[in-house]
Amino acid sequence: MIRFILADIKRMWAGAIVVVLLVALATALGVTVTLQERALRLGSARAADKFDLVVGAPGSETQLVLSSVFLQAAPLPLVSGDVLAKLAADPRVAWAAPIGFGDSFAGYPLVGTTRALISNTTTGFTEGRMFEKEGEAILGAAVNLPLGAEIKPMHGTAASGGETHAGVVYHVAGRLKPTGTPWDRAILVPLQAVWHVHGLGHAHEEGEHEEAGHDHADGDHDHDGEAQHAGEAAHAAEVAPATGETAANSATHAEEHHDDHDHHGTIDADAPIMEDYGTDAPGLPAILVKPKTIADAYRLRQAYRTGGTLAVFPGEVLTSLYSTLGDAKFVLSAVAAGSQALVAAALVLVTVTHVAQRRRQIGALRAFGAPRLSVFTIAWAELFLMVALGICLGFLIGLAAARLIADAFTGQSGIVLPVEFTGQDVRSFLGLLIVAAILAAVPALLAYRQSPAKALRS
Amino acid sequence: MLSLSVENLSVSFPGLDAPVLVIDDLKIAAGEHVAVTGGSGSGKSTFINMVTGLDRTASGNIFWNGQDIARLSEGARDRWRAEHVGLVMQDFHLFQGLSAVDNVLLPARLSRVADRAMTDRAHELLSSVGLSRPNQKIDTMSRGEMQRVAIARALLRRPGVVVADEPTASLDGASGEAVGKLLLEMAASAGSTLIVVSHDQTLIDRLDRRLTLAAGRIKTDTKAGERAQ
Ligand SMILES: Nc1ncnc2c1ncn2[C@@H]1O[C@H](COP(=O)(O)OP(=O)(O)O)[C@@H](O)[C@H]1O
Ligand SMILES: [Mg+2]
Repeated sequence: MIRFILADIKRMWAGAIVVVLLVALATALGVTVTLQERALRLGSARAADKFDLVVGAPGSETQLVLSSVFLQAAPLPLVSGDVLAKLAADPRVAWAAPIGFGDSFAGYPLVGTTRALISNTTTGFTEGRMFEKEGEAILGAAVNLPLGAEIKPMHGTAASGGETHAGVVYHVAGRLKPTGTPWDRAILVPLQAVWHVHGLGHAHEEGEHEEAGHDHADGDHDHDGEAQHAGEAAHAAEVAPATGETAANSATHAEEHHDDHDHHGTIDADAPIMEDYGTDAPGLPAILVKPKTIADAYRLRQAYRTGGTLAVFPGEVLTSLYSTLGDAKFVLSAVAAGSQALVAAALVLVTVTHVAQRRRQIGALRAFGAPRLSVFTIAWAELFLMVALGICLGFLIGLAAARLIADAFTGQSGIVLPVEFTGQDVRSFLGLLIVAAILAAVPALLAYRQSPAKALRS
Repeated sequence: MLSLSVENLSVSFPGLDAPVLVIDDLKIAAGEHVAVTGGSGSGKSTFINMVTGLDRTASGNIFWNGQDIARLSEGARDRWRAEHVGLVMQDFHLFQGLSAVDNVLLPARLSRVADRAMTDRAHELLSSVGLSRPNQKIDTMSRGEMQRVAIARALLRRPGVVVADEPTASLDGASGEAVGKLLLEMAASAGSTLIVVSHDQTLIDRLDRRLTLAAGRIKTDTKAGERAQ
């Protein structure tokens, strides 16, 4: 019987392949959408995992989370520097760390922060060590640079026509283990260095300031004059000197004083890192806070939602973001369902013609002495085999597609998307097989009921 | 070897005012070789369908060795036919993609009666119908060869009756004649009763008896001896 079914399918292989592929594609579409959506949700939630509470200046909660957790380059309003000092001294706070961003190198964002943040949000180093001096940098796991590499930061990003800071060079001291977050694509430097690059926060070490020792010319970088304004605008966001000044204000400011905004600071590569920020610290785009308890977290959020600050739980912001995106997911699912319905219709058509031909031929078997049940079984098994194969293939293609998309996404954003099947997928897989089994029984039943005389008549 | 007795048979199809087949009384002796002729639409295939139990009618009796197959359930008729009837049809109804011997054995395999002995018999039958390559795929065979495979299939389970509906009509002259001759020989050597629907005069002339149908009724019924005059 098996041999007969296989021979039969082989005989009409072109039709069989069409059926299998149609089913596979329809299935793959649904599977990809489901897997991708779930992976995105899980992946971004995991990326936000270590970010209990983020404090920034009043503005968009979503943007604060996107910039701090996902390192999305965007101008953020700045929160006054004394907020950090206040948070650090708060008894409900385990640790608080500043995050400063805006510069980039070789397409990787440069993030100024503290050793406390790095050691508390990562699992250690694959090579090298933590930065110890102002001129040292450490790399996220996905940054493709060697240990000891020289990093010359650039305003904004190369894409937005950024410009190299003359004379500023960091040396890579270590590489972190992967975290599966956008921070894997970041180059982490002491926040103090970022300030110094932009001519801020020199108060702590006035007098020890040396002449710039590392004058690496920036001649190897293109200066795209047209795009320079955009670069300046982005740049302004993280270096605006005045407390409470908004990004928009800084941007205007940057345009007006465009010329003298370049290279107004440099770093002292060998200076020790000071991470006790006083109340006179420059403005900051974001502060990551680790509360001692959950109750403290809620109290802190409450306390820092007023008076020139905004405190958010990134997890919560993401959840509300998903509910907004839920509509988008619904549209996506509707598109998928629509195309699946089309495929199903095509499938019914293919099946009907297939069965019309097969019914006669298979029904004739009865005339020659095959039992009715085997006629039913053959008709059923042939169709079920093709559809089941299509479904299996569809799940594999869907998984592969979701993985490809996820990999591309990880390459761009650093967020690792956990694309994998869960119990829910196993259930829908089995459900689909059952539906296929039932649907395949319909033409089989017709073959079963057809009179052998009719089957023979041509 | 089976004998046939048809009584008061009347077959009608919905939408047709006259019955397409009416047989009040017909007897075919066991081992007899009978030709059935008649114009197109005269009811020959309907007759074949009735006596082989491929189709059923509400009125009439069809006795094979005294058993009325018109009264059997559909499943029981299928089983009876599988055991007692060897069928050869005009367009073969062989299965592409399978070899000659697999085609011969397919119905028996699906009925789970194909054993070693039957497999051996399938090979013997193929060589006695003149096919030397039992594993040749049906797709690569000529029409004459295909009908030989169909004849081997019909004879596999040593049926009491072999029934053929226009077995040579879709073959060219030479191979049609060879197939007709073969069918007779095979049925004779198996001792089966034979009923052949045909327009092929040489084939008809070789048979014991000739029934002619017209408008669903038996118009003439002649024995071989009577025909000579
Ligand atoms: N299932 C059916 N429904 C309606 N009419 C039928 C059916 N089968 C056969 N007929 C009619 O019965 C008549 C006899 O058909 P058939 O026995 O096939 O003739 P033939 O002698 O050519 O084999 C024809 O007129 C045909 O149209
Ligand atoms: Mg006919």
